Amino acid sequence: MPSSISQQLMFAQALSAVIEKLFNQALIYNLHGTRALISLNEKSLTVKLAELGFPLNFFISAEKIHVSSSVNDSDCTLTSSIETLRTLKDQQNLTDLIKQDKLDIEGDIKIAQRFADIASTLDIDWRSELAKRIGDIPTYKIGQLGKSLAKKLSFARQQVQSDASEWLIHEKNIFVTESELTHYYQGVEQASSHVEQLSSRIEHLTKQHNKANSE
Amino acid sequence: MMSAHDQNHQSNNANSDENTTHFGFQTVDKTEKESKVAGVFHSVAQQYDVMNDLMSFGIHRLWKRFTIDASGVRPGNKVLDLAGGTGDLTAKFSQLVGREGKVILADINSSMLNVGRDKLRDRGLVQNIEYVQANAQYLPFEDNTFDIVTIAFGLRNVTDKDMALRSIFRVLKPGGRLLVLEFSKPEHELVNKAYDFYSFNILPKMGEFVAKDGDSYQYLAESIRMHPDQETLKSMMDNAGFEQTSYKNLTGGVVALHKGYKF
Repeated sequence: MPSSISQQLMFAQALSAVIEKLFNQALIYNLHGTRALISLNEKSLTVKLAELGFPLNFFISAEKIHVSSSVNDSDCTLTSSIETLRTLKDQQNLTDLIKQDKLDIEGDIKIAQRFADIASTLDIDWRSELAKRIGDIPTYKIGQLGKSLAKKLSFARQQVQSDASEWLIHEKNIFVTESELTHYYQGVEQASSHVEQLSSRIEHLTKQHNKANSE
Repeated sequence: MMSAHDQNHQSNNANSDENTTHFGFQTVDKTEKESKVAGVFHSVAQQYDVMNDLMSFGIHRLWKRFTIDASGVRPGNKVLDLAGGTGDLTAKFSQLVGREGKVILADINSSMLNVGRDKLRDRGLVQNIEYVQANAQYLPFEDNTFDIVTIAFGLRNVTDKDMALRSIFRVLKPGGRLLVLEFSKPEHELVNKAYDFYSFNILPKMGEFVAKDGDSYQYLAESIRMHPDQETLKSMMDNAGFEQTSYKNLTGGVVALHKGYKF
């Protein structure tokens, strides 16, 4: 009875353990606590993602989220992809996504919406949580350092992008600019139109020639 | 020094004698094994969880999670966590079966049971858990009681495994399933050799250093080698009456999860 490598390495169990830990930790830090879970007690949502070879089952019990990779009876099963789930933030997309076969929902859709509500109402004061552990001043310093790092990284990213495009387009001529590309397309269109005109002219002349010969 | 397989072969011959069994690589009287195993677990109970994490590099948590995923547990189920020790499976099952369900943590060893009970109570898990000191060969439950029975890293310590499997079959409800999580035989020879080296050279030293009890961990390594391999255990489950028996190798066969149903 051979088991697949991912099964032997228990990738599904490792991932579900990490997700479970992260979710429950986030709920502990949530300013609204775990109250939102009470209405979902003993309810489950299964998410089947195209990118994963196994389902993720979210089950609420004892004000905790339990994540497993087993296929049990679920109150609601959502089949989709990570990319589609990102666009689901705007619930107005729901009908369109179902029509486009990018999302399939089986079971009670309200369960999925309540799970989504929990995720969207998470309100965590990370600074306050960090301050409890390392103190106010170090937290402030880390915050300042973070801001300054983010600024520098953003500047560096812009700089690298601009330098790289300069080098690739102007120095090495590996890529072309957008205007060059547009100009090229216009040239191709013009050539194509000339060829069409010539073709119809040749056709017309051939017809005239054939007509003259037959007379 | 004899290899693990030579010793296993010798012991299998010894097992033809109905009154003896093995305690690690030693052949002992059947009546003696229970007290010897009890001695081992009384000794290691306090350090059991720490040692599990150290010895398996934490992978035992994934093996147990795999078992729970495979159990198909649902709210309202009645679960027997046999040889449940310090209650890792019970903790998770108790949250998954909910208020309507029940989990019995059973272990033959009182020290292990006490450590498990203290740990679960400290975590606030009290509502649907019962604790029973029980021998797997003579389960003190009525017929057709449980939806799920699990025995994780416990079957190899049982004196009469066939009797224990029959006893488990009796207490399972029709449609119920048994999950046996146990060390097994690695699939590849290279893994087997590395595993032998680790078990007989590093593991007892680790036990000596952390739990101050190298002998118990020497027994652990020996008992793993003496445990039936995947196919043999599957046949034993078939003989006990289980149907649709199957197993899955985990971590290259270092551990296997056997599953069987009672219909």
